[in-house]
Amino acid sequence: MAAVLRSAILRNVRVPVVGNGSKVVSSLWAHRSSYVRSMSSHDDHLERSQVVDRIVDIVKSFPKVDPSKVTPEVHFQKDLGLDSLDNVEIVMAIEEEFKLEIPDKEADKIDSCALAIEYVYNHPMAS
Amino acid sequence: MGAPRAHKLSGIQKQVLSLYRGFLRTARSKTPENRAHIESLVSAEFRKNSQLIDRKNFLHIEYLLRRGKKQLDQLKTVDSVRLSSSNVKLSDTKN
Repeated sequence: MAAVLRSAILRNVRVPVVGNGSKVVSSLWAHRSSYVRSMSSHDDHLERSQVVDRIVDIVKSFPKVDPSKVTPEVHFQKDLGLDSLDNVEIVMAIEEEFKLEIPDKEADKIDSCALAIEYVYNHPMAS
Repeated sequence: MGAPRAHKLSGIQKQVLSLYRGFLRTARSKTPENRAHIESLVSAEFRKNSQLIDRKNFLHIEYLLRRGKKQLDQLKTVDSVRLSSSNVKLSDTKN
């Protein structure tokens, strides 16, 4: 089957140099796999950098936070001196920003920017 | 509540945070003015209690959790427009 396909491709493809033949075939395969990927729901996924920027902004605008201390790795309670109630408030602000509802069990684990970013980035419904 | 504790939350801490979250979620469905009012009241109350009560005083904490849940249930009813400060004090005139 592959042999038939290969000869069909080679028959129809004009290649200037013989050595480029395999390159053309592999780029065709690459094109084919990217075509398949575009059919999946992962295309409307948020860019990681967008998620990072939006979450960092939320944390920076939290009234009790010193914005200069906020980085994508910052830990809410250990680095920013917040308490667990503030933690709840921040996670809820993130819920609103990305239009998510985060269950208690997961929300209790999110205690840093890094974990918030991972959660949102991996969530299929984040927007 | 200020000093950083061990990473894992105790069962009772989780209940407290769950109740806090419940209040904040319910506040979202109110008008912006009422929402801000509820948030500042609830935030002040929770923080005040966290200072006043020993974290090992499970009896008192559980009492407050029960009372808080009742107040939250009242808040959730559609015609309950705002949380008045009298709901938050110790005396409960409804019973």
